Amino acid sequence: MLTGEQVRLRPRDRADVERFYRWINDREVTRYLQAAYPISLADEERWFDGLTPNDFATGVGFSIDTKDGVHIGSLGLHDVEPEARTAVLGIMIGEKDYWSNGYGRDAIITLLRFGFGEMNLNRVSLHAFDFNDRAVACYTHCGFQIEGRLRDHHYGEGRYCDVIAMGVLRDEFEALHGLAAGRTEAPAL
Amino acid sequence: MLQGRTVRLRAIEPEHGARARAWLNDPAVTRYVSDRYAPAAGDEFWLGRGPANSFQLGVRLAIETNAGEHIGGVKIDRIRPEDRKALMAVVLGEAGHWSNGYGADAIATTLRFAFHEMNLHRVWVTVVDGDEAALACYRACGLREEARLRREVYRHGEYADALAMGILRDEFDARRNGAREGGM
Repeated sequence: MLTGEQVRLRPRDRADVERFYRWINDREVTRYLQAAYPISLADEERWFDGLTPNDFATGVGFSIDTKDGVHIGSLGLHDVEPEARTAVLGIMIGEKDYWSNGYGRDAIITLLRFGFGEMNLNRVSLHAFDFNDRAVACYTHCGFQIEGRLRDHHYGEGRYCDVIAMGVLRDEFEALHGLAAGRTEAPAL
Repeated sequence: MLQGRTVRLRAIEPEHGARARAWLNDPAVTRYVSDRYAPAAGDEFWLGRGPANSFQLGVRLAIETNAGEHIGGVKIDRIRPEDRKALMAVVLGEAGHWSNGYGADAIATTLRFAFHEMNLHRVWVTVVDGDEAALACYRACGLREEARLRREVYRHGEYADALAMGILRDEFDARRNGAREGGM
């Protein structure tokens, strides 16, 4: 269990599947993700059964709970490259009522403390669709820098869009947020 | 077989294995490619032992001069059909054939296949910062620098950035039409 200010990150549980199933079929949620296909409950249960335990080689995934115990989404680090010590971040807040309340930022900072402080990564990167302003702002608060735009790198909802490539290095994350559990609010300027 | 001006591209055959193995073990060739473990997992196709070329599994081709000398390889993979995009990678193994225009010819021929046969919308590449020959070649072929992925790779005792470059279908066609109209 990884503890943030507003959230707890815990391994995914079979009981989470009914919510994953609802979220993965909600186009308002998936329009920001690489996930446009309707998925059945049985498909989702098979996906859960295929998950590997959290470890360095195959990556880590966590369910995001509020401190009140409400399961609102999930996030993880995958595509781990051991020589370069890099991983890719993915996050989904499925409960739309919980958007724009700082839960995403808190979850990401908590996960990055784990990635840098326990997995000993040197770099975490991610992709965001260019119309996902909320996510880009959140990632920036967490310490990610925009590294470029991959043009027409994603197709959805009838058109191509650019993908914003972002990355954060261990040194700059540690300077910004530290690796110890603690404050995850943006520092006052 | 895909025919370029000075090179041709064809499916990997067992006979390509001998030179491919030598390149995979040559630090000068693999300097900007993954050379840590030679040969590495995933090199089977270069040695003539991979699946047949397809949209789903990717395309790997041997680069030969028109005289038939095997000088390198090119691959198109990480193909996403919804996005109609793919990642391209090129290796020119025979040092004697660097800077002869073979690279640009192989890239242009591959792009023509990717756009006009596979019907892709976008082809992109990643280049290790410092690999000036590759950067110049891709630029000359119309790819544009899009992102600098900081400390994305580690080799020879230090981290390096990786540059992502890309080209879109209409950009490729405009270049070819421009070249034709220019009488090249």
